[in-house]
Amino acid sequence: MSLLDAIAHAFRLLFSGDAALWHIVWVSLKTSVLGLLLAAPPAVFLGYVIAMHRFPGRRVAVWIAQAALSLPTVLIGLLLYLLLSRRGPMGGLEWLFSQQGVILGQMVIGLPVLLAFTLAAVQALDPRYAETAVALGASRWRVMTTVLHEARYGVMAAVISGFGRVISEVGCALMVGGNIEGQTRTITTAIALETSKGEFAQGIALGIVLVTLALFMNGVLVLLQGEANTAGGRM
Amino acid sequence: MSLLTIHGMRKRHGERLLFEIDTLTIEAATGYVLTGVNGAGKSTLLRMLAGLERCDACTIEFDGERLPLHPYPAALRRAIVFVHQHPIMFSTSVFHNIAYGLLARGENKRDVAPMVEDAMRWAGVEHLRDTDPTRLSGGEKQRVALARARVLQPRLLLLDEPTANLDGPAREQVMSLIPTLLDAGGSVVMACHDRDLIGLPGIHRLKLRDGRLEYR
Repeated sequence: MSLLDAIAHAFRLLFSGDAALWHIVWVSLKTSVLGLLLAAPPAVFLGYVIAMHRFPGRRVAVWIAQAALSLPTVLIGLLLYLLLSRRGPMGGLEWLFSQQGVILGQMVIGLPVLLAFTLAAVQALDPRYAETAVALGASRWRVMTTVLHEARYGVMAAVISGFGRVISEVGCALMVGGNIEGQTRTITTAIALETSKGEFAQGIALGIVLVTLALFMNGVLVLLQGEANTAGGRM
Repeated sequence: MSLLTIHGMRKRHGERLLFEIDTLTIEAATGYVLTGVNGAGKSTLLRMLAGLERCDACTIEFDGERLPLHPYPAALRRAIVFVHQHPIMFSTSVFHNIAYGLLARGENKRDVAPMVEDAMRWAGVEHLRDTDPTRLSGGEKQRVALARARVLQPRLLLLDEPTANLDGPAREQVMSLIPTLLDAGGSVVMACHDRDLIGLPGIHRLKLRDGRLEYR
């Protein structure tokens, strides 16, 4: 099949509402969004705590969070595989080659991204916000919600970057999910494996979906940051 | 009658001693200006009193009790409010900025609105009620910050250079608010360089010089 034929076929798949194709997109979105939803509360909380407090081992925590950003996802996949395999410590869950396993993987991959970006956003925030909240009598909890509200554009950027990382990763989803058709086949695992079988059309169609998603999410980010910049410029 | 007395307040920058104050007594319902050259530690002193900067060896006599200043006692947090030299506004509305402390202290929402309205009238910022606070001018921000602090009826209000970087009518408006802060019965300590503030009638003068506090 020529390249042009493959592209034409890809568009036919996209616009004919091909059930298998859209199911793969659905599995990808579902596992990525759920993984992020699980990762976001602890990551944002930890990012805030590390940014706002001086404690022994703080620099080690920052170092590990930032190093975790550059861990290859296949390595996380390997780790989870060992944990989730039948003889592993979490084998009883029977999550290997299941969507739960993929979601766990997305959560583990998304967590350091969200944490490191939230940490940077809170650190970059003017310290007078927290001081003013404290001086006016806010509880620790209220100081946190106030500071995160003031750093909201940075936190949203963290979530969008985290989404970008989890939706586009292939190593962990492949190893933990196993690319099982109709269950754990995601956009990236499908592209990787279908291409190797000579099935270009589906890969191209899924690639188009992925690029569209990336453009959309980053478009939102650009809009948010534009707003944040004008807000800063007016001060 | 004294409101509070601080003992053993000192600040070091590495080896260098910035200031050392054996005792500092603040009388109830009294206004003070704190003067001193730039870098003498005026802001640091106020920030320590407000619990924004650690003061490890300090103790404070307050309401008949002697307490350490670190960790900062909850009773002081309710009694003392600090206002920055360049106050920062939460990105909500002017109304919510002024309501912030009341809500943080668990005031009933129904009671908060009239108190905030009253504070906005006092500061002359009623017309800014729903304005995006990031759009306020320097003078408007200072007045909103004063209202945000005054609405809490603090027994001690700490102002860090309230008129610095203001001029013309903005400065006049802030200047005219300051004597009325004392009417509510609390005490005020202002760090400042402004001669007109230093010359206000009935205001006591404290000066930080060479690491010591002088009463004038």
